[in-house]
Amino acid sequence: MFTRFKRLSIALIFALAAAGGTLMVASAQDATPPAPTPQGSEQDCAACHADYQMSWQSGLHGQAGDDPVFLKAWEDQGKPGACLICHDTGYDPATGISEAKGVTCLACHSPAPDNHPANNMPVDKSTDLCGKCHSDSRFASDNWMMSAHYQRAMTCSVCHNPHSAGMKTVEGFATTEDASSLCQNCHKDAMDNFPSSKHAEAGVTCVNCHLGFNVGSADANVDFADAHKAPDHSFIPTLETCNKCHSTQMHAPGQSVAAAAIKIEEAGGTSTPEPTPVQVSTLPVTNEPTPVSPVGYAGLAGLVGLAAGMVLAPWLERFYHRVSKQHQHEEEHHE
Amino acid sequence: MSDANFSRRDFIKLTAVGAAAVAGTRLVKEARASSSSPAGEHQWAMVIDQSKCTGCNYCTLACQAHNDTAPENQWNVVSEAGEVGGHKTYIARPCMQCAKAPCVEVCMVGASYYRDDGIVMMDYDKCIGCRYCEAACPYQARVFNWEKFEGKNPAVPEWGSPEVERRPRGVPEKCSFCYHRIDRGLELGLIPGVDADATPACVGACPTGARMFGDLNDKNSLVSLVLKEHASYRLRDDLATGPRVYYLPADPKEMDTEVKS
Amino acid sequence: MIAKLRAKFPTTTPWITWLGALGLLLAIGLTCGILIFWRGLAITNLTDLVPWGLWITIDLSSIALSAGAFSLCAAVYLAGLKRYEPVARTATFIGLIGYSMAMLSLMLDIGRPDRFWHALVYWNTHSLLWEVTMCVCLYLIVLVLEAMPILAKLEWLRKRFPKITAKMEHVHHYAPYLAIAGLCLSMLHQSSLGAVYGVLKARPFWYKPEMAALFMFSALVGGISLTIFASMLSARLTPKARVNDTLLERVAHFVGWALVPYLYIRTWDWLAMTYTYQPGRSEGLDVMTKGPLSFNFWIVEILFGAIVPMILLLKQGTRQNRFWRMAALAMVVGGVIAYRWDINLGGFLVVVSYLPGEATVAYTSYFPSLVEIGAGLGVIAFGLMAFSLGVRYLKVVDHRYVAQEHETVKSEAPETVLA
Repeated sequence: MFTRFKRLSIALIFALAAAGGTLMVASAQDATPPAPTPQGSEQDCAACHADYQMSWQSGLHGQAGDDPVFLKAWEDQGKPGACLICHDTGYDPATGISEAKGVTCLACHSPAPDNHPANNMPVDKSTDLCGKCHSDSRFASDNWMMSAHYQRAMTCSVCHNPHSAGMKTVEGFATTEDASSLCQNCHKDAMDNFPSSKHAEAGVTCVNCHLGFNVGSADANVDFADAHKAPDHSFIPTLETCNKCHSTQMHAPGQSVAAAAIKIEEAGGTSTPEPTPVQVSTLPVTNEPTPVSPVGYAGLAGLVGLAAGMVLAPWLERFYHRVSKQHQHEEEHHE
Repeated sequence: MSDANFSRRDFIKLTAVGAAAVAGTRLVKEARASSSSPAGEHQWAMVIDQSKCTGCNYCTLACQAHNDTAPENQWNVVSEAGEVGGHKTYIARPCMQCAKAPCVEVCMVGASYYRDDGIVMMDYDKCIGCRYCEAACPYQARVFNWEKFEGKNPAVPEWGSPEVERRPRGVPEKCSFCYHRIDRGLELGLIPGVDADATPACVGACPTGARMFGDLNDKNSLVSLVLKEHASYRLRDDLATGPRVYYLPADPKEMDTEVKS
Repeated sequence: MIAKLRAKFPTTTPWITWLGALGLLLAIGLTCGILIFWRGLAITNLTDLVPWGLWITIDLSSIALSAGAFSLCAAVYLAGLKRYEPVARTATFIGLIGYSMAMLSLMLDIGRPDRFWHALVYWNTHSLLWEVTMCVCLYLIVLVLEAMPILAKLEWLRKRFPKITAKMEHVHHYAPYLAIAGLCLSMLHQSSLGAVYGVLKARPFWYKPEMAALFMFSALVGGISLTIFASMLSARLTPKARVNDTLLERVAHFVGWALVPYLYIRTWDWLAMTYTYQPGRSEGLDVMTKGPLSFNFWIVEILFGAIVPMILLLKQGTRQNRFWRMAALAMVVGGVIAYRWDINLGGFLVVVSYLPGEATVAYTSYFPSLVEIGAGLGVIAFGLMAFSLGVRYLKVVDHRYVAQEHETVKSEAPETVLA
C-alpha cells in the first residue's frame, strides 16, 4: 500500500498532466479562425471588424435607420418605400422587406463571398457605388462628376470616411471642424499666398467659395429637409459664389443678399485654418554640429597652468624677494 | 617523449581536419544569404510620380494602419524635395527593397533576407536587435522598436485595419511592400498592382495615383510601361544598392495643368 | 548585520574600501541593468540615428584592451620569448575579464537579450558581426582554457578538488596550440571589429579598408599597455603582486615602438580625409577635429593617447622611471578608448540625407543617459573587481612564479624586484 505522501504525489502528477494538456488544447483553440458567418446582421462583421463597427455606429451611416428626425419625417409622409431604398440595406420594393435596417456593412460591401475571410469582401470605392444613394443634384454626385477631382479618377473616399460618414482626418488626427484643412493637405501650393490675402483676413476658407450651396441652381428647388442637401462638389466657384458676399459691389443683380449678411459661419468655418504641415523628416537633426564643449579644453588649460605655475614658482619667489628687498633699500635710502 | 610527440602530432592533424570539415560544410551550405537578391518569377517594383505627389501623406497613414505601426515609427516617410517651376515637390520614401541590400549583408543572424520576388523580408523572430542593419541602411528606412507599441493605433480604422502582427520590443522594422497582401492576392488569383487587394496599401491610398506597383518581369505591367516611356531615377544610385523604387521626376509642365489658386 | 560586518572587518583597510566602492558601483550597475531588461532600450538616449553609443564603446574597448592576451601568449609560446611568461599569464587573465565585460555590455545593448544564443545557431556568413561573434565565442573558450592554470591556483579549489585542479594545471601543456588558436582568432576578430564599420558604404566616414588595420593596431598597443599598467599598479598597491621591472620595461619599450606605426597610420587616416569633399566624410572629419569630438580627438587620442606616450616610452630616462612609464601606459589605454568613441560617434553624428540631388548633411547629438552610464560603470566595476580578486587570491601578477618548463630559461634579471 502506498504511503499517503506517495499517493498525493502521484495524484499531483496526474493533475499537472491533465491541467497542462488542457491548457495546451485550450490555447491551441485560439489560433483557429472563427467559422464563416452567415450573411446578415452587422453583428457578425463586428466580431472581427470591431474598429469599423465602432466608427460606423456613431456616424451618420450607422444612424441612418434609427435617426429620430428621419423616422418622424418618414412616418409623417406615410412611410414611403422610396426612402428605404437608401435608408435600409437591401430593400426590395416588390416585397417591401429590407435585409437590414439602416446603412449596414452589406449596403456597400456586397455581395459577400462564400468563405470570408478566405476570400476578400468587395471594396468598391467608385463614385457609382456612393452615387447609388448620394445621387443626382441632391447629393452632389452630379456636380462631382464635373470636378477636376473626378476627372483625375479620385473617389468620394479621398475626402470622406465611408464608415464614419464624416471627413477624413489628417495632421495630428484631430477632428477637423472645418473641411478646409483637408483641402490644404493636398493643395499645399495654394496655401503659399492665400493666408496673406484679404479673403483670408476676412475669415474666408476654402469651403466658403469652393463648396458653396449654389443658390439659384437646380438644388434650389429641393424641398427635402436640409439633410438631403449637399454643397456643390464641382469645387468650381461661379459668379453666384462671389455674389454671395460681393453682390452689392457687382453690376448684375441676382438672388443675393447684402454682403455682410451671409454669415461666414453658415458656409462652415470661421478662421483661416493653419496649413497642414508635411510630415517632414522628424529626425532630431540640426544644420550645424553641436559646438565644442569648452570644459575639456578649459580643464586642460588649467592643468597646464598648474604645472607651469609650479615650475615657475621658485623664480617668481626669487623675483618677488629681489623686488621687495630693492623696495626696502629704496625706502631706507629715502629715510 | 616520443609518445608525447606522436600524440601532439595526431592532435594537430585531427584538429586541422576537423576544422576544415566544419568550414567546408558551412561554406557549401550558404544558399540563404547570398550577396544579391535571387531572381524569381516576379520582380516587384514601385514607381512614384513626383509630378502627381502632393505630399498629403495618405500613403503614410494607410501604411501605419495596415501594418499597425506606431505613429513615431513611420515606414513610409514623405519629405519636401524642393521646388520645381514654382511648385513644391515631395518625395515619399518606403523601403527600397534593394537588390544588393546592405542590411541583408550585415545581419548577423540572417533575420533580413531576400525573397525570390525581390522583397527584403524581416524575420522578427530571429532578430536579436543588434541594430547593425539600421546603421547600414543608406535610406534610414529602418526604425527600431525602442519600446513596444501598446495602445490604440490612431490611424485605425479610418485609414485601414491592421493586417500583420505588431512587432515586439527590441527589433527593427521596415516597409515590407505589403508582402502579405501580395501573397494573399496571388493566392486568390488577383494581380498585384492592378487589384487593390493585392497591392501595397500605400499604392491604393494615394488619391492622385502617384504611386504605381507591378511586376518588372511582366513587360506589359504598368510599372514596366511607365519606366520604358518616362525618365526615372532612384535614390542614392551612386551606392549601387539596386533599389526597386523608381521616381519620375517632377515635370513643371505636368504640374501646371493642375488647378492652382 | 552591521555588527556582524564590524566583527568580520574590525578595521577598514584600503582593500575593504576599494571592494566596497566597487561593490557600490556594481550594485548601481545591476540596478540599471535590471531597469534596462525590464523597461527596454527606450530609457537610454540611443536613437535611430545613433543606435550604438556608450555600451558599444565599452564593448569595443574591452575587447581591444584584452588584446594583450593573444599577443603576449604568441610572443611567449610561438616566438619563444619564454621569459615573458608571467606577463602573459597576467594578460590572459585580463583577457578573460575583458571578454566577459564585452559580453555583459553586449547583453545590455542588444534589443533582445533573451535571444543572444541566436548568434550561435543562426548564421549569416556574409556578416562581419557574425564573424566577430563566432571568433569571440571561440576565443573565449581558448581564454578559459588558457586561464585554467591560473584558476587552479585558488587555494579553496586545490583543497576541495585536487584531481580537477591537477587536470586544470595540465592544460598548460597545450599552451602553444592554444596560443596559435588565440592568435588566429584574435587577429580575425580584432580587425573585423574595425571592418564592421569599414564595410558600410552608406557611411563614407567609415568606408575605408584601414579601419580594420587601425583597430588591430590600437588593440595591440592598448592591450599590452593595459596589462603592463595593471601589473605595475597592483605591485605598487599590494605586496601580493610582485613584478620584475626589467621585464615590464622591455615590454613598455616595445609598446613605444609599436606606437610609431599606429600614429603614422592614424595620422594618414585623418589627413587623407581632408582631401576632396565627400558628403558625410568631410563633415565627420570636421565633427571629429573641430566639432564636439575635437577635444577627445586632439588631446585624448592623439596628443596624450599617442604622441606623449610614444615619447615617454622611447626615451630611456622616462621609460625607466616607474611613474612616467605608468602614466604613459595609462595614457595609451585612454587613447584607445577615445579612438573607439570618436570613430563610433563620428560616423553616427553626421546624417547624410538620401534625397535626390547633392547630398545634404545634418547633425545629430548623443550623450549617454544616466542608465547607460550607470550600467557602464557597473560593467567596468565588475572588471576591476575581478582583476583585484585575481591579484589577491590567484596570484595573477606574480613574476616570481614561473612555470616549471620555463625555469630552464635563464632570465637576465638578477632577482625579482618589488615594484
